[in-house]
Amino acid sequence: MFLPLALLLFTIFVILPIGEAGYYSLFRWNGYGEPSKWVEFSNYVRLFKHGAFDTAVWNTFKIILVSLVIQLPLALIIALSIYKKSWTNSLFRLIFFLPYILAEVAAGLIWRFVFDGDYGVIARFTEALNTDTWYLLADKNWAFVAILVVLVWKYFGFHMMIYIAALQGVPKDLIEASKLDGASRFQAIWYVKIPLIMSGITISIFFSILGALQTFDLIMPLTGGGPSNSTHTLVSYLYTFGITRMNVGFGSAVGVVLFICCVIFAFTYQSTIMKDKK
Amino acid sequence: MASVEFKHIEKIYPGNVHTVKDFNLKINDGEFIVFLGPSGCGKSTTLRMLAGLEDISGGEILINDKVVNDLEPIERDIAMVFQSYALYPHMTVYQNIAFALRLAGLSKAEIEKKVRPVADMLELTPLLDRKPKALSGGQRQRVAMGRAMVRTPEVFLFDEPLSNLDAKLRNSMRTEIKILHKKMKKTTIYVTHDQVEAMTLADRIVILRDGKVEQVGTPSEIYHSPANKFVAGFIGSPAMNFIPIELAKDEGCWFVDISGQKLNLLGDVDDNQTATKATLGIRPCDIHITPDLLTNPLVIKGKVENLELLGSTIQLTSRLGDSQIAIEAPSSHVVNEDEVINFYIDESRLQMFSDQSGLSIYKPKAVLESVTDQ
Amino acid sequence: MFAMRKIRWGKYIFLMLVAGFVLVPMFATVLGGFKSLGELRTNPFGLPDVWEFEYYAQVFADGSIWLLMKNSLIIAFFSVLLTLIIGTMTAFTFSHIKFAGYKYIYNYFLIGMMFPAAAAILPLFLKIRDLGLLDSLSGVVIPQVAFGLGFSILLFRSFFEQLPSELFDAARVDGCSYIKFYWHVILPLSTPILATVGVFVLVASWNNYLLPLLVLNTEQQYPWTLGIMQYRGEYGIEWNRILAYVTVTITPAIVFFLFAQKYIVEGLTGGAVKG
Repeated sequence: MFLPLALLLFTIFVILPIGEAGYYSLFRWNGYGEPSKWVEFSNYVRLFKHGAFDTAVWNTFKIILVSLVIQLPLALIIALSIYKKSWTNSLFRLIFFLPYILAEVAAGLIWRFVFDGDYGVIARFTEALNTDTWYLLADKNWAFVAILVVLVWKYFGFHMMIYIAALQGVPKDLIEASKLDGASRFQAIWYVKIPLIMSGITISIFFSILGALQTFDLIMPLTGGGPSNSTHTLVSYLYTFGITRMNVGFGSAVGVVLFICCVIFAFTYQSTIMKDKK
Repeated sequence: MASVEFKHIEKIYPGNVHTVKDFNLKINDGEFIVFLGPSGCGKSTTLRMLAGLEDISGGEILINDKVVNDLEPIERDIAMVFQSYALYPHMTVYQNIAFALRLAGLSKAEIEKKVRPVADMLELTPLLDRKPKALSGGQRQRVAMGRAMVRTPEVFLFDEPLSNLDAKLRNSMRTEIKILHKKMKKTTIYVTHDQVEAMTLADRIVILRDGKVEQVGTPSEIYHSPANKFVAGFIGSPAMNFIPIELAKDEGCWFVDISGQKLNLLGDVDDNQTATKATLGIRPCDIHITPDLLTNPLVIKGKVENLELLGSTIQLTSRLGDSQIAIEAPSSHVVNEDEVINFYIDESRLQMFSDQSGLSIYKPKAVLESVTDQ
Repeated sequence: MFAMRKIRWGKYIFLMLVAGFVLVPMFATVLGGFKSLGELRTNPFGLPDVWEFEYYAQVFADGSIWLLMKNSLIIAFFSVLLTLIIGTMTAFTFSHIKFAGYKYIYNYFLIGMMFPAAAAILPLFLKIRDLGLLDSLSGVVIPQVAFGLGFSILLFRSFFEQLPSELFDAARVDGCSYIKFYWHVILPLSTPILATVGVFVLVASWNNYLLPLLVLNTEQQYPWTLGIMQYRGEYGIEWNRILAYVTVTITPAIVFFLFAQKYIVEGLTGGAVKG
C-alpha cells in the first residue's frame, strides 16, 4: 500500500529538512559542496545580536497582540451580528470572507496601491489636507502599522467563519431560557453564547498565533522587509538574510528558532488549553 | 395572585400561515390549565406568545389585568420549563438554578437562601455540583423545574416537559408535578399532546386543533360531554367507536337505524339537525355484554370477531354493518370468538354527532334527568 | 421597542462600514485597470471618467499570462491529485488496518502539521536542488504534497472512522480485497471529504508564493504568484497596469470561491470546530 510511499515523501521533504536545518545551523556555508566551516553556535549568537532579528521577533509579537486584541474580537462581534440564517447575513458573510481566499501576494499588492504615497488613499488624504505626501510604507514608524491593517483585513473573515459555525451550534432554546431568566442581550452573549463557543475561540487563537509566526507572503509586496528592516517577520528575515545571501548556516539557524517556537507553542497549547476537549 | 386572560389572540407567520385563530380564554388564579391537542395545533405557539418568546400578531394577553403584549419575558413575571429542559451545559446544577437570581443582582448569600430550599424540595441537593451531562433525564427535568420555581413567578409554563422521558418516569414525574402544584398553588399552564397527562393534571383542559379551540372544560366534562366528534375521538383510550347511522322520528320519538337494527333513543336530538345521516359515538367501555347495572340499555346483536385478553379486561371487536366496533369488558365474563351475542349500550353515555358540523347533537336521557352523572 | 430599532440601525451601519473596508480596496483594484495613470492619481477610488481598455488588453497581449495560469493550474492539479491519492490510501491504512505501532506513525505525520514549511525551507531547497528537481514544476508539487499530507491524512482518517464498520465486514464476506474495497466503496462514499480537502489543497497551492519563489528560476515555469511580482517589478509605479494584472489574476480565485464556497466553509468549520 501507499503507506511506505507517504512515509518516504514525508520524511524526505518534511522531517529530514528540519533535522538538517539543525545540523547546518552549526556551520557557515554557502550551500555548495559540503558544509565545511564549523562555527558551533556562532550563527545563533549572531542571530540574537542582530538588531533586525530583534525587530522581526518584536513584529511577530505585535502581530499576535493585534490579532488577539483587535482582529479576533472584531471577528467575534461581527459573527455575533450575522450568524443567524438570512439572505443579508449570507451576503455579508461572503463579502467578509473574500479577502481570505485571495493569495497573500495579491492582497499585498492591492494594499500596496492603497497605501501608496502618490496614488493611494494616503495621497488623497494628504492632498485634501494640503500636507506633504506621506509615504506610509517608507515610514519607519508607521510601515508596520500598515501591515497590521492588511493582516486584519485579510484574516478576520476566517475567524468570523469559525465563530459563526460555533454560534450556529448553540441550541436556540438555551437563549430563550436565558431570556426568561432575565438576561439582557449582552448578558446572554456573555454568560451563555461565549462560554458555549469556547472550543471555536480556542481553535481560532491557535490558528492565529501559528499564522502570525509564518507571515511572509504579505510582507514582500508591501515593504519587502524595509524600511530599514523595520517590517521583517521571522520568515521574511529568514528569506532576506539567509536565502538571498545564500547564508545557509545562518538561515538554518533562523529556521531552527522558528521551528522550536512553533513546536513549543503547538505542544503547550494542545496539552493545556485544548486538553478539555473530548 | 395571578389571573391570565387571552383576548382574540392570533398568530400569523410570514407566508400567511395562520397558526392560532381567535384564541380566547380566561384563567383564574391558581388554576392548572392544560393545552391539549395534536402536533401543529398551535398549543406551543400560544404558550410562547404568553411567555414573550413569540410576537403576538393580533389580540391581547393580560396577566393580572395588565396588558403584557410589549413586555419582555422577565417583565411578565413568568417562568417556563422547556421540553428539552434547556439547561446551561457549562454550568452546574446550582448555577443553573441560581442564574436568574444572579442576573437580578442578588448577593451570594441571598441566592444561597433561595436555592437551597428549592433544591431540597426537588431532592436535588446531592447533585448541586454536577453538570447537566452527568444527570439522568428525570434529574434534568427536576433541575429545569427548580430553575423555574426559584424565581417565585406568578405563572408557571410547561412546554411538553415529560415528552423526553420514558413511560415509567413520566408517570412518577407527573405525580410530582401534581403534588407541587397542590403545594404551591400557582397559576400553571401546561402544554401536552398526551391526554393522560391532561386528564390527570388539569383543572380545566383546552383542546386545540389547527389553531382553534375545540372545547374548554374540566376533564370530566371533556370526557363525558365532548362538544364535537374531534374531542370525543381524541380523549379516551381505547378510542370512542364512531358508527354511521340513519336518524328518523317516529311518532315524536327518535330512533336510529344501524344497518338494519333499530334503537329507540330516549334523549333529545338537537332541533337544528335536519339531515337523516349522523354519527353515533359510544366508548368501548360503555358497551356491555351483560345488562347488569344498566337502567336503560339499548340492545343490539353482533358476532364476536376478535377477542384479546388484557389481564383484567377483555377487548372484543365486532361489526355493525360496515363499521367495526371495539368493546371493553371485565375479563370475568366468558365469551367466545364467533359467538353471536347481545351488546348492551349504556344509553346515558351515548353520543351523536352531526356529519356536517361534527358538533354534538344529542343529550342522553340520564343527563337530562339528573343534575350530575358522577 | 424603540431601543431595538436604534440597535438594529447601528448594527447595519457598522456592518456596512466593515463591508466598505473590505470591498473598497478591491473595487479600486478592479476599476484602476480601466483608468489612465493620470486619472488614477487624481481619482483612485471612483468610477473612471474614461474607460480605458488598453491596459487590460495589454495584460493579455503577449499571452504570458496564460502561461502563468497554466503553470499554476498544472502545479495545483497534480498537488491535489497526489495528495488525494496518497492521503486517502494512507488514512485508509490507519483507519482500517490496525497494525502494530500505527499510532506512533500517525503521530509522526501529525508533527508535520505543527511547523510551517518556512522553518526548514533552506535545507528543503538544498534537497530539491540535490535531487535535481530545481527549476521544475515537480520540485514545487512534491514538497507541497509532502507538507499537505499531515493535514489531509488527519481529515481523511476522521472521515473514514465515521463510516460504519459493517461496510467492511460485508465487503469481506463478499470476498473483497483491501484495494478493491478502497476503490469501489471508500472512495465513492468519500466524495464530500475529497472535495473539501481537494479545495483546500487547490487554494493553498494556487496561492503559494514562497516555495515557487525558491524553486523556480525560468520565467516559463512561473506560476501566477511569481508572475505578478515580476510584473510589478517591471512596471514600477504604473499602478493602472499593475492593478489590471492583479484583477485578472484574482478573478479565477473569486469565481472559484463562489462556486466552491460550500466546501470551503464546511471543511473549515467542520474540521476546526470539531477539533
